[in-house]
Amino acid sequence: MNLEADPTSFIGQRPFAAATSRATRDAASVRENSIGPKLRASLRTKLLMAFLLIEMLLISVGVIGLLSLREADQRTNQVVALQHKIEAYRQMQHDTLRQLHGVSAALEFPDETTLAIALRQINQFGYDLDRVSFVAKDEVALLNQLREEYARFIAVVSHIVNLIRNGQTAEAKQSERAELGPLADKLERLTNQLVNRAEADMVAGIDVSRQTYSKSQLLVAAVALASLVLTLVLGHAISRSVINPVGVIHHGLNRLAAGDFSQRIEVRNHDELGELAAHVNSTCEELQQLYRSLEEASRHKSQFLANMSHELRTPLNAILGFSELMLDGIYGEPSEKMRSALERIQRNGRHLLGLINDVLDLSKIEAGQLQLSLADYSVEELISGVHTSVESLAAEKNLGLRIAVPAGLPPARGDERRLAQALFNLVGNAIKFTDAGEVRIEVEAKGKSLQFSVQDTGPGIDEPDQAKIFQEFQQVDNSITKVKGGAGLGLAIVKRIVEMHGGRIWIVSRIGHGATFSFSIPARLEQQATQT
Amino acid sequence: MSKRVLVVEDQEDNRQILRDLLANVGYEMIEAHNGEEALIAARTQSPDLILMDIQLPVLDGYEATRRIKAQADLRHIPIIVVTSYALSGDEEKARAAGCDAYVAKPYSARKLLETINRYLTVP
Repeated sequence: MNLEADPTSFIGQRPFAAATSRATRDAASVRENSIGPKLRASLRTKLLMAFLLIEMLLISVGVIGLLSLREADQRTNQVVALQHKIEAYRQMQHDTLRQLHGVSAALEFPDETTLAIALRQINQFGYDLDRVSFVAKDEVALLNQLREEYARFIAVVSHIVNLIRNGQTAEAKQSERAELGPLADKLERLTNQLVNRAEADMVAGIDVSRQTYSKSQLLVAAVALASLVLTLVLGHAISRSVINPVGVIHHGLNRLAAGDFSQRIEVRNHDELGELAAHVNSTCEELQQLYRSLEEASRHKSQFLANMSHELRTPLNAILGFSELMLDGIYGEPSEKMRSALERIQRNGRHLLGLINDVLDLSKIEAGQLQLSLADYSVEELISGVHTSVESLAAEKNLGLRIAVPAGLPPARGDERRLAQALFNLVGNAIKFTDAGEVRIEVEAKGKSLQFSVQDTGPGIDEPDQAKIFQEFQQVDNSITKVKGGAGLGLAIVKRIVEMHGGRIWIVSRIGHGATFSFSIPARLEQQATQT
Repeated sequence: MSKRVLVVEDQEDNRQILRDLLANVGYEMIEAHNGEEALIAARTQSPDLILMDIQLPVLDGYEATRRIKAQADLRHIPIIVVTSYALSGDEEKARAAGCDAYVAKPYSARKLLETINRYLTVP
């Protein structure tokens, strides 16, 4: 039975549970569209894949940069090579010119010195030609022509030198004019052609490398931008795949903690988070089943108690009825001893009946079978009714019984009989546990509320016990219970009645200084409060 | 001629209490064990008052009360309904069924007799 200390609190949450589970389903159906969660891979694989992709992007940016650099380097080399070519060509032109000068000088001053200079110049051509053929391998046709022309030029120069040495200066001069001049012109034309071509190549090369530079600049920028966008998209996808489900699960667990067992979390992930959500759902399901069986057990218990107390009361009614008739002398005047015994039967029987009725009340309240019957009532009449029914109890124990109700209270609205029952229980308790002094019943109007207080001069209740006394079957001190009797149901019933009126009950007490039980309810209750 | 009280009650012990109580004050007691017997007895035995229990087999006290009060020639018979315990909400139903008065179990024999006398002495 102690499994369900407060079954009404479960019952109260049902509509909330239904509403929130619908909300969860709606929210989940919106999330279905995201791509990430549907991926059938573990969380680790997903993260690894994302990082790999980002790494690949970084590598590709690096590779593209390196390739661009290499291309730029190649272009530079080409330009340098062209410059070398041009230099070589120029050198050749220069040497040709010097050869012409050398030959002229030899003709003017035909001595060995000038002749040696002219001949040395010829050797220079070999070197020049080697250099040109090295830097301008691609210009095969022009190079061959150049070689042939130079061979002829050298041959002519050699011939002239020989003529000079032989003293045939006139023939030499003739040969210089007729052959060497035109050959030199031709050579110059050829080398000029080479230079022009190389210069054109250089200009084109610089142009191309400029274009390549701006192209690779664009390419690197584009790839970097694309990587940035892709990384963002990837990050977003991962967060969708991880953070959203975590949020959903967190939300679900919060609901679970609040007692909503009917909800189901919808996480579409095929990874650890999906498994986690499935676990949460199966836990929910188990809790829900457990809750249902508890609810059913509670219902059975209430039904059992209701039936049982009815069955118990029937024979008790007969016991009370017959003993009353005997006391009234219907079967002949009883002796003094017999009367005393009959009175004990009556007293104990009524006590037992009170206990059974309390159990029935509580089980009916817990099963939600009790409805307040709301009507207008007079507070003064309510209190005087309670006063009348407890007067004799107080008088038996020589206790003072005082009442303080403000005059002229307007008609209140509520269930008068239940409120009388609540006050009767409180005052009955106060009288039961007080051995000397007085019990005071007080009513105060506080705005739209009425506050009822029952004050006694009894032993008082320790603070740790104050919270417990409103629970079923709880009494402060078992030794007192043995003397005073009672099953500890009275205050639980009072609490329920007050709560059904939308009010609250509390206690102010100190050991040795008595206790004051107070409850506050709406002065005019138009609708029964839903139980929480 | 002594007053006739129709007691509708399925428990023998309770009937015995009422038998002793009513015999002591000189009333004649007619007995019915359920609602249907009560309807027949009300018609054939012409009681001066009916004491009706609520929890009855075959036909319960509310329905029996309603049917008796629905008949013009029986409507004048006062019906005192005996409800089960106070919190059950039986009084409202009893009143709705048309009873003249009700007493809640457990009733004091003395107080029940007072109520019965109130309806029997006033013409």
